[in-house]
Amino acid sequence: MLSASRHKTATHQEGRTSSGRSVLVAKLVAAAVALGLVLAFPALAPDPFILSVGVVIASYAALAVAWNFVGGMTGYISLGHAAYSGLGGYGTALLVTEAGVNPWVSMIVAAVLVGVAAVPIGIASLRVRGASFVIVSIALVLILLLVAQSWSDVTGGSNGLRVPRPFGTDVLRPEQHERFFYLFVALTLVALVLWWVIDRSRLGTGLKAIREDEDKAQALGVPTFAYKLVVFVVSAFMTAMAGGMYALWFGSLDPIFQFSILTGSYLVLMSLLGGVRSLLGPVVGAVIVGYAVEFFKTQYGDTQLHLVALGLLLALVVLFMPDGVIPWVTAQFDRFRPGDTSIREVDAAQLAEERKALEEAKS
Amino acid sequence: MSSDPIKHSLATQNLTKAFGGVRAVDNATVSFHEGKINALIGPNGSGKTTFFNCVTGMIRPDSGTVTYQGRDVTGHAPHRIARAGLGRSFQLCRIFPRMTVLDNVLAGVRSTGLVHRLRGAHNPDDIARARELLARVGIEHLERSEARDISYGQQKLLELAGVLMAEPDTIMLDEPAGGVNPALIGRIATLVRELNAEGRTFVIVEHNMELVMSLSDHVVVFDRGRPIASGAPADVQNDPRVLEAYLGV
Repeated sequence: MLSASRHKTATHQEGRTSSGRSVLVAKLVAAAVALGLVLAFPALAPDPFILSVGVVIASYAALAVAWNFVGGMTGYISLGHAAYSGLGGYGTALLVTEAGVNPWVSMIVAAVLVGVAAVPIGIASLRVRGASFVIVSIALVLILLLVAQSWSDVTGGSNGLRVPRPFGTDVLRPEQHERFFYLFVALTLVALVLWWVIDRSRLGTGLKAIREDEDKAQALGVPTFAYKLVVFVVSAFMTAMAGGMYALWFGSLDPIFQFSILTGSYLVLMSLLGGVRSLLGPVVGAVIVGYAVEFFKTQYGDTQLHLVALGLLLALVVLFMPDGVIPWVTAQFDRFRPGDTSIREVDAAQLAEERKALEEAKS
Repeated sequence: MSSDPIKHSLATQNLTKAFGGVRAVDNATVSFHEGKINALIGPNGSGKTTFFNCVTGMIRPDSGTVTYQGRDVTGHAPHRIARAGLGRSFQLCRIFPRMTVLDNVLAGVRSTGLVHRLRGAHNPDDIARARELLARVGIEHLERSEARDISYGQQKLLELAGVLMAEPDTIMLDEPAGGVNPALIGRIATLVRELNAEGRTFVIVEHNMELVMSLSDHVVVFDRGRPIASGAPADVQNDPRVLEAYLGV
């Protein structure tokens, strides 16, 4: 009985490996095609407006992947990630305008500072779980909004803060959009590589265990608090990088948009929509939500109807694809593949034959 | 006491934990025999699980101490106690439902240092050990399934494999036979005996008296948050205080 089940497992796994390889090839081809399309986008875009929408979507993709370090891996849902993108933006702008630092160096230095600031913030906020963590994350962004609005000597308050263009005035708007599109795509790729490295590591397994059952993970010896803090800081750093890059691209910062709960909510929606457990989930979500936001805005103008439309979109996702688009699509493909735990019935003669073949293959 | 041949790797001194007005664990001084199968029994609500949680760091006790292998571990974080060598299971079996069976076991790998932690979780060494443990508990054919898809009994075995991955010296099992069929109870008992023969100490909370009496070397009886009797299974079984606690006679 035992050897029969072992034998079944062995043949089953061999079958899986070959189908696993073809799936991998299919995935690589799909990824190459997708990357090719992304890189060709500036050339394909019919006008500078569409190109600028592409930049916005690419910036959302970088932000959503950065958000997913915490949200996807640990299951801690932060609605206040605009705090880190906003701080990254203001940090970059102030370093450029007040200290005369090179814009790209400013962006990195500001992100490092935000990463350092994220340590005490993480120590304070990661003590609470679930809804309490969500509230704490919102509180932070609201505090920063008030500070940025009131401290107008430094931030320019509601008048905004102007950031000089990093490429000089002789680079025209469309070309500036194109360059920033590639920069945001590169930043997204860096974030994806980092996410992938962590996801497949022992650290990543510990983080996923935290997402599933934090007490149980701790009882197994996973230093849960330290693990959460590490990805929290990485997430804040990457978010600040995207925020700084946005400041350099957009050229003007206003607290109401930089420290907005709406931005944080968009990131949550994007990641949930694409699938928080998958590498590319937030990117797919950013493309769909980013496009939808811009589309609804042009359709409904300055009214708040685009928010209603987004709310409906979120409701649909939660109802019909609770795990997100990518897992949903994968599940549709998996329907046509043999199941992982199929219990195949074999009679004694068949079994003896298969076992003989296996022994022969061994010798 | 110095002539006492019995070694106590895990012990508590005056351990107390109250929830509001209820003293779930009340001044409990208990020691468990190293290298033996210890059982912790008592009526429902006698504080066994709270005692477990205080010992493993899931709950901070109000007062008293917990010592493990001579070290005071009172109030330490659960992961530190786990890494000191004290593994545990949970009363209502707890696994990572949306992770595969294999990843559930891999989550128990002991990691040190950043480089070690950034190593791929699916490396040959860890996988070989995880598969060995899955084979040992008899569910190696399920390694690719999501843990939520396997049966409750299989989840119990999976939980045990995960605990073993963390290489504990002492294993605390909270109701290992709760809600599983008789054949599986037999399998779990055999596993416990084998693992004990390899030198692991067990502390088992269990209501199945047949299992407790046949499996354990040393029994501690809890009532109202404190130990009322301890000794060999046969002695404890006939202790009038134990009969009173259980039957109210």
